[in-house]
Amino acid sequence: MSLPQDARDSRRWWADLIAAWRDTRQIVLTAQIAAIYAAILIPFKAGIPIVPGFVELRPANAIPIVASLLFGPAAAWGAGIGNVIGDCFGTLGPASFFGFLGNFIFGYLPYVLWGHLGWFSSGQPPLGKSWRQMMEYGVVCVIASAACAGIIAWGVEWLGLLPFVILAPAIFFNNVVMGLFLGPPLLSFLYPRVQQWRLRYEDIRESGAFHIHSSQTLRSHDSMGSEGTNDHFRDAIVECRGLSFQYASGSAPALRNVSFSLVSGELVVLLGRSGSGKSTICYACNGLIPHMIPGTLSGTMRVKGRDTVDDPVWKQAGRVGLVFQDFDTQLVATTVERELLHPLEYRDPRLSVDEVRLRVVHALNQIGLGDCAHRDPMTMSGGQRQRLVMASVLVQEPALLVLDEPGSDLDPAGRSQLRDVLQDLQQDGITVLMTEHNEDYLAQADRVLVLDQEHIVWEGKPETLLRQPQLMRDCGLRPFVLTECFEEWGLEHVPVSVEEAWTRAEELNLRLAPPVEVLDDSLRLGKLPERESTMALPLIQVDHVSFQYEEQTVLADVSFTIQPGDFLALLGQNGSGKSTLARLLNGLLMPTTGTIVVDGMNTRSTSMNELAQRVGLVFQNPDHQIFADTVWEEVAFSAKNMRCSKDEIADRVKESLAAVGLPFEGSRDLDPFSLRKGERQRIAVASVLATRPAVLIVDEPTTGLDPHETDRMMAMIRRLNQEGHTIVMITHSMGLVAAYARRCLFMHSGRIIADGTPREVFADPGLIQSASLEIPVIARFSQRWGQTLLTVEEVKASWRQGFP
Amino acid sequence: MHQLDGRTKVLTVLGVFGLALCFSDPVYLLGVFGGVMGGLTMSQAGANIRKMWMLTVLLFGYSVALWPFFVEGVTPVPVLHGLGVTWEGVRVGLGMGLRLLIMLWGGIWLLSTTTVEELAHASQQLGIPSRAGFVFSLAFRWVGMLLGAGVGVVQAQRSRGLDVSTGGILQRIRKYVPLVIPLIGHALRQTNLLAMSLESKGFHPSATRHFYSTGKLRAQDYTVMSVMLILLGVSLWLRWQGVGTLDMRF
Repeated sequence: MSLPQDARDSRRWWADLIAAWRDTRQIVLTAQIAAIYAAILIPFKAGIPIVPGFVELRPANAIPIVASLLFGPAAAWGAGIGNVIGDCFGTLGPASFFGFLGNFIFGYLPYVLWGHLGWFSSGQPPLGKSWRQMMEYGVVCVIASAACAGIIAWGVEWLGLLPFVILAPAIFFNNVVMGLFLGPPLLSFLYPRVQQWRLRYEDIRESGAFHIHSSQTLRSHDSMGSEGTNDHFRDAIVECRGLSFQYASGSAPALRNVSFSLVSGELVVLLGRSGSGKSTICYACNGLIPHMIPGTLSGTMRVKGRDTVDDPVWKQAGRVGLVFQDFDTQLVATTVERELLHPLEYRDPRLSVDEVRLRVVHALNQIGLGDCAHRDPMTMSGGQRQRLVMASVLVQEPALLVLDEPGSDLDPAGRSQLRDVLQDLQQDGITVLMTEHNEDYLAQADRVLVLDQEHIVWEGKPETLLRQPQLMRDCGLRPFVLTECFEEWGLEHVPVSVEEAWTRAEELNLRLAPPVEVLDDSLRLGKLPERESTMALPLIQVDHVSFQYEEQTVLADVSFTIQPGDFLALLGQNGSGKSTLARLLNGLLMPTTGTIVVDGMNTRSTSMNELAQRVGLVFQNPDHQIFADTVWEEVAFSAKNMRCSKDEIADRVKESLAAVGLPFEGSRDLDPFSLRKGERQRIAVASVLATRPAVLIVDEPTTGLDPHETDRMMAMIRRLNQEGHTIVMITHSMGLVAAYARRCLFMHSGRIIADGTPREVFADPGLIQSASLEIPVIARFSQRWGQTLLTVEEVKASWRQGFP
Repeated sequence: MHQLDGRTKVLTVLGVFGLALCFSDPVYLLGVFGGVMGGLTMSQAGANIRKMWMLTVLLFGYSVALWPFFVEGVTPVPVLHGLGVTWEGVRVGLGMGLRLLIMLWGGIWLLSTTTVEELAHASQQLGIPSRAGFVFSLAFRWVGMLLGAGVGVVQAQRSRGLDVSTGGILQRIRKYVPLVIPLIGHALRQTNLLAMSLESKGFHPSATRHFYSTGKLRAQDYTVMSVMLILLGVSLWLRWQGVGTLDMRF
């Protein structure tokens, strides 16, 4: 590794190993390496048993050496523990001790040896860029593999389980083959990323420095007609004065001179587009900035009168509870009760057992999980897991609860539960600061802060903000749809609820009488392409399909067809069977009973490769597929798998990138990992389009995207549909279905409960509610006049004044 | 069995491992094996044994089949005369196979009756630093999440035409790159966030961990540990006397 000489000289191997247990990031890395090692060890087998039952060629064996060269001591502990965890899935015994020891050495020797091999040392980072680096890597790999094999085989023979001469060569061969062939490509991909994330051992060891400029005097922030006053600083729980912050890795400030306050019991929503600085404020509330996130800070953030810079983060847990957007990262235990006990176990001074019991029961009841104390968090829904994390921070009785975009990963049922919880927290007098990029939770808020371009641009009551649709647009927010419907009528107070909108319509003597172009969907979807024949064969035919997984029925007797050019939305709660159905359509899963015919081919008798050229599936998380160094390579991957010629691959990459609106020029140098989520999602779509599928299935394409990114994503999907692709979209957003889909399938408990156009389906509110979903606001508003309208444009085109 | 304290379970399993190491004669090891079977039955852990049935039978068979080729003896097995296999070697093979089964099933018994947190707590009470127990339980928890993510990765790459079941050894190994990289990248992208999450909830390596779950040893714990101690003492004495051990010359 590229350590400075003095650092190398002072490197004490034993001290390094001990130090790995004194830093939270190294502890996390140790656990992650252990988990990665075990997770790859268990399912991924190359199918070549060397000593059946004992040693099998597995890709996991490259992990210790790769991790060692990146993370040093954490890799040693991680590899050892990971091997024991792998054994816990069936082969735990005394031999596991020697497995631990062997893998510990396998994960530590490369770090110790790299750069210390005399003539063999390349003096370069552990990448296969030159023959000297490759040679050094080879020598390190052989020595570490031999040491690992020797220790394990000796121990196993000592226990009398298997002769040394059988086991040692097998383990050595396994480690060397995987280390030599899988290690270099893994290192070549991971090294620059790990460097970028500042996770290399030397980065972690040298990190911790942050800069604090002297506090600036409070200045009133720029205003766009804000209602806020500085009175809030009196009796404030949170006082943020002139806060500015620039990330160490950033080229511009993330926050500029931000000032606000929260008083006890207030629920304040911080609104803003992606990248406006919302999360930065959250991280400043409990000292993550600057203690764990390096950068330059000025101004002050005080919670309960104490500057968050003064105490380490963990000591502030009793004052500030922070729930991250990705709440699953905060779950650490195997039962709900233990999840709540965990933070209390680190509390100083220690509480009495009775006090702990009371707190746990109170926090669970407060959050509506009182009857789930012994459940495994991983068996709970997303909404329940999020509430569990809330309970695990509330159990510490913090003065402030901070929620970072709590609604972004939830389905409609989860969002509805969150609204109830916020209401309960308000009644309990808990002070809450939450961030969002849409108006979903404004009804509960006492106050709104709008953040744009790194500073607060508006502050006031939610209702006042909602009545200013143009201001919301200017700040990158999506206005409440009904305010847009009434904008042209020059009202002083545009309506901010369905009930108010009905009243306004009455006052203006307005009614809705949709013209033909609304009712035939041509206003909403544009002119539909002519189909060759109304009797055209369906592109996909699903006939009485059922699917069972581990004796549980996931889909039951599902039948429907998809015509060429359709834009179909698959709707339903989490667990209703949508994703399973999508995987059945492209042959990843096979039906337990029934048949699926795609373009005339039965999925049972058609290869995955052939089906992939007809039905492309874009997964919800683009990071589950991106692996290449460049955008070009990533998009070309599927075309290469189809053995296309070089020219054909280049054509397909160009065509696919153009289809998703990404530039072809520069794609050979652009690192997909460096892009924002919306762009990574586009790359995922492009890489699937490179197979030229007739059908494109997109699973939750807008999750976690702000309104602007959502619009871009949906415009792209609509364009693909207009260009001839048949679209199947899985979504929880009724608004997107109303705006874009031609047809929707409602699923509930593995069955289709409705199949029709959005207008037909949304015309039945009882049906929507039975599936625990929400009817779109415009549909609900228009049903007063016996119509089901779906978009703002349709409402605007349907206004009529006077009585019929 | 499930009601025993975590320390009792860990020490009992270590005792079982000790018993298995005291003997090499299959007759004596059969007795220990019977005890383990009894423990598994009482703990209703049969379902977990059934899940691992094929693997344990394979490992047992492997040990039985291999050892006879490496152990010297005086009574040749007529059918395998030319291979130098003796009845003494076969006996050693059976003994080692049983020892392996005892160890594996003992481990399964421990994991069937003990949660990860109990193990972490017990290991801290037995002198292992709490941070090690925490990392173990944390990693165990993340394995499940990564396995779930792994399924997603495999499906995403298969949907793009990746087929790892075809090609030669090197080709197959190379095909694992698109599977392993997203999984590792997905995990490492979260490292800083996970560290921040832990500290935000009050965790710090230097903070002392106090377990609140009641972890007092009761009469049943002392009884089980006493029985195990007596069994170990007797077994060590027997071994000292040369009873229950076979002559293993290579």
